[in-house]
Amino acid sequence: MFEYLIFFFFAAVAVIFALVVILHRNPVVGALSLVVSFFALAVMYVLLDAPFMAALQIIVYSGAIMVLFLFVIMLLNLQHEKEPSTRPVQQWLGYLTSSAFAISLVYYLGKYAVMSGALPVPFIADARAIGRRMFEAYIFPFEAVSILLLAAIVGALMLTGRSEQRENTSGEVIR
Amino acid sequence: MIPTQWFLILSAILFSIGVCGVLTRKNGITIFMSIELMVNAVNLTFIAYARQFDQLHGLIFVFFIMAIAAAEAAVGLAIFISMYHHKDSIDVDDANLMHW
Amino acid sequence: MAFDTTDVILSLVKIAIVLAMMLQVTPIMAWVERRGSALMQDRPGPNRVGPFGLFQAFADALKFILKEDIIPARAHKWLYTLAPAIGLLPALTTIAVVPWGRPFLLAEREVGGRILFEGGRWFVPVVADVSVGILVVFALASFSVYGITTAGWASNNKYSLFGGIRASAQMISYELALTLAAVSVLLATGSLKLTDVVWHQTGTFVLFDTLRLPAWNVLSPSMWLSFIVFVVAAFAETNRLPFDFAEADAELVAGYHTEYSSMKFALFFMAEYMAMASMSAVIATLYLGGWDIPWYNEPPTFLGFLLSALFFVAKVGFLLFFFVWIRWTIPRLKYDILMRLGWKVFLPMAFVNILLVAGFIAMRWI
Repeated sequence: MFEYLIFFFFAAVAVIFALVVILHRNPVVGALSLVVSFFALAVMYVLLDAPFMAALQIIVYSGAIMVLFLFVIMLLNLQHEKEPSTRPVQQWLGYLTSSAFAISLVYYLGKYAVMSGALPVPFIADARAIGRRMFEAYIFPFEAVSILLLAAIVGALMLTGRSEQRENTSGEVIR
Repeated sequence: MIPTQWFLILSAILFSIGVCGVLTRKNGITIFMSIELMVNAVNLTFIAYARQFDQLHGLIFVFFIMAIAAAEAAVGLAIFISMYHHKDSIDVDDANLMHW
Repeated sequence: MAFDTTDVILSLVKIAIVLAMMLQVTPIMAWVERRGSALMQDRPGPNRVGPFGLFQAFADALKFILKEDIIPARAHKWLYTLAPAIGLLPALTTIAVVPWGRPFLLAEREVGGRILFEGGRWFVPVVADVSVGILVVFALASFSVYGITTAGWASNNKYSLFGGIRASAQMISYELALTLAAVSVLLATGSLKLTDVVWHQTGTFVLFDTLRLPAWNVLSPSMWLSFIVFVVAAFAETNRLPFDFAEADAELVAGYHTEYSSMKFALFFMAEYMAMASMSAVIATLYLGGWDIPWYNEPPTFLGFLLSALFFVAKVGFLLFFFVWIRWTIPRLKYDILMRLGWKVFLPMAFVNILLVAGFIAMRWI
């Protein structure tokens, strides 16, 4: 019973703070709410017997990605962001479509995704098991991801780095 | 043990919230955060199925998704910084030209 | 999940002990820092309240409580109020996964007609001995940046904002070095559990066929490099001099807590010292043998537990003094030097050390 209590509490936390992310107009509040939502998801991973993934979720998302978001939002000083409601029809269509999508998805999952309960053997997903599987079967994708990350670093530097050659004598940036 | 179905329903709700954010918001960073939310909803599905079928492949996919999300965040935020330098705004409606 | 009443009570006892210790850290460290700095600068320091100024901390606490609590008019009220709590939380919870004494056997006994500890029960002095121990430490350390950045942003003050932005960039950079330095230790241990890390360091080893040294990681020829990286990164993670760019009083007034007063400021003050204490506990566990007493085999009894716990506290205390010592020895760096050091010196050093440990393991030297 205790498990179910944790599940419902953190499921509610995840959904409510996810709603804050998309409804609040202040991006800083949105980013912090997303962190809370991700934390609730990490609790879900613990409930799913994958504590290693839960720790990774917090370290990668809360510790790196969301700090980067917060850093950029603060750097650009986006706190007084007001969205002029141009195209209200499209916006309402967006709300309508996504809620219809949600309702149908939940309906069909509730109706058809009924799966058998307890596993015959305990699900072991510790660091050792994951590492073994990763470096045996997934070594090529692993190396590919490392190249992807390198490409991302170079790309990010190219996009944001302001080099001296691109400015002419009057200080105006050549576009 | 909590049924896998419930995790799938939670994941579906979170994914739909992300879709809603992408469809209705104009602030580029909020849209980006909605995308991250959708990615996380998918991660939850992967892990739920991994436990249901006792397969570690799901967890390894989540691992790769996290790595790619990190790369995506770096490049995406760099694009928004660059856009802010040129347009003085990160409203996606203002990014309406093919060249800056 | 089945609960055993004895387990719950033992856990509550552990939590109470750890919380009591952590709450003592702030007043003691406030005194040590002020008197220590006075000692190093050849001046008396606070000496009016009580013998040697020992009660200065209580006077400070009283002052914090009685001062007016100001919220700036243009601040974001919710986040401004929430930020000190966010800052305190990771500092207070990290200690939960750190083992602080040798496990000992609670013998079966009868108290008031009820049998306690049926068949003997091991008392493991760690609040939560989770299988991903060290990752929890890093996860919580990554949360600590939110308190500072949120405070800096919510104050709506340019100095605070600069402090917050600097802190986020600095902590995200040094967390890499911190994590990679710890990877060396985990490689050698072969487990993420901090209790396993400590057990791995008990006993002795013989260096160059002459010296019999305790098997602490810091004394191992393969891991002293990662120890240096870890300690430096720990200084950056806890925002202590020479890396205190989040407050940098010469440049940013008081950085992220410029606008804070009264108890909210006191919470930041507490968070700083508690983060230092938990970081010291992690350093002691990873590199200084945790609760291990050198050249001594602790018996699995209450006495052995007590001795080892005292030794652990002594190690943490020394490291805390080391934090203060460094603060008054090395001046603040420049911000670009900090970033360059983090990315171009300490990160490669951590990588080199991982290769070193991997080589040692391949050669079966450890």
